[in-house]
Amino acid sequence: MRISPLKDQLAAAGAVFRERHGVEVVSHFGNLQTECGAVRDAAALADFSFVRLFTLPETPGIDFLDALLAGNVPKIRFGRVLHTFLADKNGQLAADCFVANNDQEFIFLGESILPDAELDALLATNGGEPALKDLSADHVVLSLDGFKSWEIVKKIFGADVIGLPYLSIENYQFAGEPVRFIRAGKTSEFGYLLIVPVKIAAQLFATLKAEVEERGGRLVGADAHDALRLEGRFFNIFREGERVRDPLPLGLQWMIDLEKENFSGSAAIKERRVAGLKQKIIGLAADAGGTTLKTGAKIFHEGQAVGEVVTDCVSYVLNQPLALGLLPLELAFSGLTFRVGSPEGAVVRSISMPPIMPKSLTVKLDEM
Amino acid sequence: MPATIHQTIARRRQVIDTFKQELIRRLNLPYVPEDLHEDVSLLGSGLGLDSLDALEIVLCVETCFKIKIPDENISVLRSINTVVDFVIEQQDAKGGQP
Repeated sequence: MRISPLKDQLAAAGAVFRERHGVEVVSHFGNLQTECGAVRDAAALADFSFVRLFTLPETPGIDFLDALLAGNVPKIRFGRVLHTFLADKNGQLAADCFVANNDQEFIFLGESILPDAELDALLATNGGEPALKDLSADHVVLSLDGFKSWEIVKKIFGADVIGLPYLSIENYQFAGEPVRFIRAGKTSEFGYLLIVPVKIAAQLFATLKAEVEERGGRLVGADAHDALRLEGRFFNIFREGERVRDPLPLGLQWMIDLEKENFSGSAAIKERRVAGLKQKIIGLAADAGGTTLKTGAKIFHEGQAVGEVVTDCVSYVLNQPLALGLLPLELAFSGLTFRVGSPEGAVVRSISMPPIMPKSLTVKLDEM
Repeated sequence: MPATIHQTIARRRQVIDTFKQELIRRLNLPYVPEDLHEDVSLLGSGLGLDSLDALEIVLCVETCFKIKIPDENISVLRSINTVVDFVIEQQDAKGGQP
């Protein structure tokens, strides 16, 4: 099992760990509601070293990644980041990816539902061995998220950080070492991914932790990020992605360059697209305190099982359970009612996503 | 399926189809309407539209539905579905029909 270089620091802070696809991740620090609230109201720091991290030289990096990924890699402008996915030869999701054009290199960050060896094999089938340099062993990835997270990066890296647009990359220094800095985030609040050499990881982690806590925030784990992604309707490969696997019912067409001739899994995906969608996911909500809106539960309509819940959480902003359900196309509309668990089960409503208004949308960084 | 559900779906489908087709045309998006999930984020992540595109969306809603999205109501632009919710609410407020 792959273990984060920051394990000792995380354990000392009270982390509860679990395994996810051969990687040890922090599940939580004891209180999911407090962790979610830290992101929505203040700032939160998480160890994202579970991502697979590679660097490639610009040549042949562009061609290699373009042949592999669903998005259009040559169109990534300098300093920008593409959000796309990696599929296997059957067009089933393998990794949710950010690809960054960073000076002379391309950075690949993959949230993978394949064990490391299987992902390596998938990359190798596309001629990856000579070009890819795995940074996962000697770097950590930190995720700093939250309504006030911009204050922290501004203080540590300088004022120009807050001018970076969403999905961009820049290089900074901390303690004399390079830090690759990506504005990204999947919580719908401000979010930053920091790629940090191991030799300064503990120092930067401690600095960020202190800054976060000073603002009323805290360390958070994967459980909080899972809930926040659903609340903000960001795709989560570890939840609905793993359960559904097909990018089309998941609504990930926006990650695909449909005009590109070939990428890993393209033939299967294009064939399914031509055949037409039969199902897709839709947001669901239950009344506060409801306990039946759980992943795997069957969804019923007029007494018939028509779909299932593919991910769920409690929204602490809305104080109610939320979920995504996979439903037949003709019923995948918000504003309808269903029953969950059995034909006479609890009533749930299909809803428009995302159902929350993030606080960060009220902040105009360019006026700071 | 009860008629009320048929009606709810038919009305929503009509607004969605109209909005998607006009959105694709105005912004020259490389998709057909079926490719656009109604929950896809319009700004930032997802379709990754910028502030100029946001103006086009506002104009798109005005043109298609004769409904104005106030400047202070930018949160309506979170997704296609949230735009459609707003359109249907406004139509209801005006008397129920487009």
